[in-house]
Amino acid sequence: MVGVFASLKWRLVTSRLRATKGATRAWLIVLAVVLAIVVGFLAFGVGTLRLVPEYATPILISLFALQLVGWMLTPLLAFGVDETVDPARFALLPIRPQTLQVGLLTTSVIGFFPLANFVVLIGAAVALGVPWSVFPVALVCVVLQLLLCVVLSRAASTSMSALMSSRRGRDLGMALGLVIFLAYMAFVTLINGPNQNGGALQSGVTGAASVLQWTPPGALAALPGLVAVGDWGSAALSAAIALAGLALAWWWWSVALRRSLVTVPSTTAGSSPAGRGHADTSIGVGVAGTARVVAGRDRVLVWRDPMRRMPWLMLIVLTVAWPFLVVHGKGAVFAVAFGAVFCGAQAGNQYGVEGSGLWLHLQTITDRVRARGEVVGHAITALIPGTVVVLVAIAILAVVRDDYDKFPAAIGVCLAALMGSTAAASYLSARVPYAQPQSRKSLFASSVPGQKGRTLIASLGLIGGGVLVALPAAVATVLSMTVAPVWGWVALVLGLVCGALALWIAARMTANRFLDQATEIFAVVSAGDRV
Amino acid sequence: MGNPITNSNQDPLSATNPPSNAAIPMYPGASDLVRQVAGQALALRGLTKSFGGKPAVDHIDLDVPVGSFFGLVGPNGAGKTTTLSMVTGLLTPDEGRVILAGVDVWTDPTAAKARMGVLPDGLRLFERLSGPELLSYLGRLRGMPADVVAARSAELIRVLDLDEAGNKLVADYSTGMRKKVTLAAALLHSPAVLLLDEPLEAVDPVSARIIRNVLSRYTAGGGTVIFSSHVMALVEGLCSHVAVMAGGRIIAAGELAAVRGSAPSLDDAFMHLVGAADVEEGGLSWLGSSPA
Repeated sequence: MVGVFASLKWRLVTSRLRATKGATRAWLIVLAVVLAIVVGFLAFGVGTLRLVPEYATPILISLFALQLVGWMLTPLLAFGVDETVDPARFALLPIRPQTLQVGLLTTSVIGFFPLANFVVLIGAAVALGVPWSVFPVALVCVVLQLLLCVVLSRAASTSMSALMSSRRGRDLGMALGLVIFLAYMAFVTLINGPNQNGGALQSGVTGAASVLQWTPPGALAALPGLVAVGDWGSAALSAAIALAGLALAWWWWSVALRRSLVTVPSTTAGSSPAGRGHADTSIGVGVAGTARVVAGRDRVLVWRDPMRRMPWLMLIVLTVAWPFLVVHGKGAVFAVAFGAVFCGAQAGNQYGVEGSGLWLHLQTITDRVRARGEVVGHAITALIPGTVVVLVAIAILAVVRDDYDKFPAAIGVCLAALMGSTAAASYLSARVPYAQPQSRKSLFASSVPGQKGRTLIASLGLIGGGVLVALPAAVATVLSMTVAPVWGWVALVLGLVCGALALWIAARMTANRFLDQATEIFAVVSAGDRV
Repeated sequence: MGNPITNSNQDPLSATNPPSNAAIPMYPGASDLVRQVAGQALALRGLTKSFGGKPAVDHIDLDVPVGSFFGLVGPNGAGKTTTLSMVTGLLTPDEGRVILAGVDVWTDPTAAKARMGVLPDGLRLFERLSGPELLSYLGRLRGMPADVVAARSAELIRVLDLDEAGNKLVADYSTGMRKKVTLAAALLHSPAVLLLDEPLEAVDPVSARIIRNVLSRYTAGGGTVIFSSHVMALVEGLCSHVAVMAGGRIIAAGELAAVRGSAPSLDDAFMHLVGAADVEEGGLSWLGSSPA
């Protein structure tokens, strides 16, 4: 039975390659080689820690723990990426849960991601196996670490699968993304905090390692060192902790698996009912009218739909708090441009957000005036809150960091970046549309298989657009610092003019492209329904 | 059939010169055809669509008289949904003409789409809006006055028995409710032609009765309904006209009685037309004999 699972997974892993031919296959092979080289370098880098044994163990204890957390969170954020690990697919087959669990474990360890992890872990074994006589022990430890990661990750995702199959659960899952983002911010603050004497990071890692070595992944990283120095008592304790962790994870997975096979979750439990807000009376006549109708709907959905709400909460943190915490000294106001670019990104993939629901617009938005109105409507849904967030962030930073003299230039650069990325995001919506998974299982599962390249091009393109449009204002800003402060005001005017121009051009080009390619765009974005 | 609409079958979004409604020329004879089919709610001429070189719809001609209740029937994969997608402007044809209510759908989509109401099968709606919000949004997007939209959508919601939906999001609607709210959206602007793809598929009997009543009332008022289905009894009970599709072609079309001919039911006539056979006697003898 395990062989059947293994061959099923192997077919799925290789089917993508088999299905492609010609140039695409060549590119996939090139990509695989590049990734293999990157992973090889990573493994080599980790392996070189062998040269500094006093740091190797504490660093790897932290890395092992981080790796485990990464494995646990990935399926929660992108559950459903791999159907061979979804227990619901096997519920109707006459397979005992124990056999199924072993089979699912097999499918979980076959794949590019586990392989890459294993290669890097070999590097870790080289680093930990000092002297070489304990290398076999280190090797056993890294194999156990991979098993621990896989088993715990499956246990977590299986026990969450019931929750994630209801809309209410998925909506709650969106909040997880925000929590992780805030945790990242806290982490950055911690290592980048006021205690910048150069030793903070080092003492932080050593301190963390002293605690983490009593957790299963930490114990596995510490074990070879303990064996090497002959501390058999601690080594036995570490081994017990690691094995107990693995057994506990296996048990948790088995319980969750048995439950998930016989429980049908509610799929219709609603999260947020529609409010009875005031009735919108704008009418889709002319560009302005259509823009008001479209923006009215977008405004409602930003409040109601977690997929649209959570990014804005993150953006507020990213735009206001991130420059404040990370960029020290004067000039931090310009770091707001980073968040501004991503505020503009909220106008991205306008035609793909609703999946095949786009047909409703295909039936109603049929002329250039309405098509332009739609683009403007989506754009102002990103621009209005984006402008508020950017201005508040600049104001706070200018006051706290006493950066008043940079105020006009910062507004010019940041608003140009906002408008530029909004314009680029709009145009790319029609030029490089991509399907968004409509099952909404994850905040970060933003593309469907086969369209990852499109998603990447669209994402990088809008950043490029923001940078390009902000460039004239940025040049004027440099002049304001080197030649005369009056250039700051020039930057403000340049930023606003370039931004407005970019938006005007983008609205026309996007609308034309949408009308010319409506059925093709519809075919591309409809793929989101199936995921 | 005049000059065909042509379309590249390459990766559509990488095409440098995309086919477009703007790019489609007003070819000679276009207005002649429109005049010729003046009495028809829908006229198809040489409509063709291939996927990967395999024809899904193969040069079909079809006339649907004004005021008829027209059933498009055929087995799965016959090309019904592909045909309706090309008629409704959701799929660009490779060749052919679609004249709906006197307007060429692919040369004047704005006028054509104002005259049609569409209920597609299996497509999503704006899921996070409630039914009333969806109707209000679509009505206003069409440029209808807000008070007219409000009055009509309130009446449609009452008639289609969607009151219970209240402020529930479309995402939480049952299949029957989804079909009904889509039908309401299709009727909102009082179109001349309704195009419905499997309108009663997976719908409970109560909702099905309501939908049938509304459609009958619509045709009684002079509207034309064109709907696809593979439920023969339904087509036989509702339709005045029928077309049978198989393998991407129309193999019979006309008034229901004419298509049925001497067969005892439309079902029998259909089986004969598409060349399907019952399971032969003696086949599958192992069924039910032992568990695997």
